[in-house]
Amino acid sequence: MPRYELALILKAMQRPETAAALRRTVETLMERGAVVRNLENLGERLLPYKMSKHNQRHTRGSYFLVDFYAAPSILNELLDHLHRDVDVVRPTVLKKEEQVSTSICCGAPR
Amino acid sequence: MFHVIGRRSAPVTRLLASRGGVLVESVRGRKSRGDPVAKSKEGRIKVPPPVDPREMVVLKDRYTEYQLILKALRLEFREEVLRKKFEEETGSLAEERARQDAEEHRALMLWNQEENLRLLKARVLRVQKEEEEAERLKLEAVMKLEQQQQEFIKLKEKQVLQLQEEAKNFITMENLDQRIEEALDHPKNYNFAVDKEGRVVRKTVLQ
Repeated sequence: MPRYELALILKAMQRPETAAALRRTVETLMERGAVVRNLENLGERLLPYKMSKHNQRHTRGSYFLVDFYAAPSILNELLDHLHRDVDVVRPTVLKKEEQVSTSICCGAPR
Repeated sequence: MFHVIGRRSAPVTRLLASRGGVLVESVRGRKSRGDPVAKSKEGRIKVPPPVDPREMVVLKDRYTEYQLILKALRLEFREEVLRKKFEEETGSLAEERARQDAEEHRALMLWNQEENLRLLKARVLRVQKEEEEAERLKLEAVMKLEQQQQEFIKLKEKQVLQLQEEAKNFITMENLDQRIEEALDHPKNYNFAVDKEGRVVRKTVLQ
């Protein structure tokens, strides 16, 4: 199965609400047959620009990274679902490439 | 009236021309067949040239003798030419030459045969070597293919094992809450700064 990465921007909320939103998202993924590999938190930070979503203007947001394995057919529904979720400011699904072992090719020669 | 011609344009009569004679035509001159005779030629009777019988006899004898001699000479010469030709083709020398030619031909054919044999041997050897070479290459190719397949299998096995290892760390229903708490407690920062000397700075201000 191909490997995807969900870069999720959640609304700046309190901890329990964030946890609930995350739990909701991961459960949605698992319902659709994805295998969640890892969940990372990139912190709560200032958004690069003000984003409007669900009739709200967001200045700060918390960034999360979810790697998962999934079938490509579920992505559309998943994105629809995430767009409809009120706590989610911006969902982005990206494909994760196989890491080709890069040796000392691009470094500046000393 | 009488024209010497090279090409036959009008009906031609051979007059006194048994040998190498010039062809002379009896062409009617200005007058055609039905024209009347000229006034000055009215009573003309054509008379053959006068002949002296005694002179004629003598002349005839001399002519026959002369012609005899000449004919003999001519025949002699012709015979000589024919003889030479005959000798050339079927004389003893010719036989000798023919024999030598045949001999040479035979020798050359023999040599050719030997050359052919030699080349055949060389070719057979060469072909055999090439076949062996081809066989060897084919075998090598097969071996290489085998080896590559083996390597591929090994690689895949390794990948599978690694994935199995990593699978122990995946998120399931049970450790979902725990993982969420863990993630919220430990924010990860991927930002860093590098300068041209290669010094890396990972401590950044998180806004």
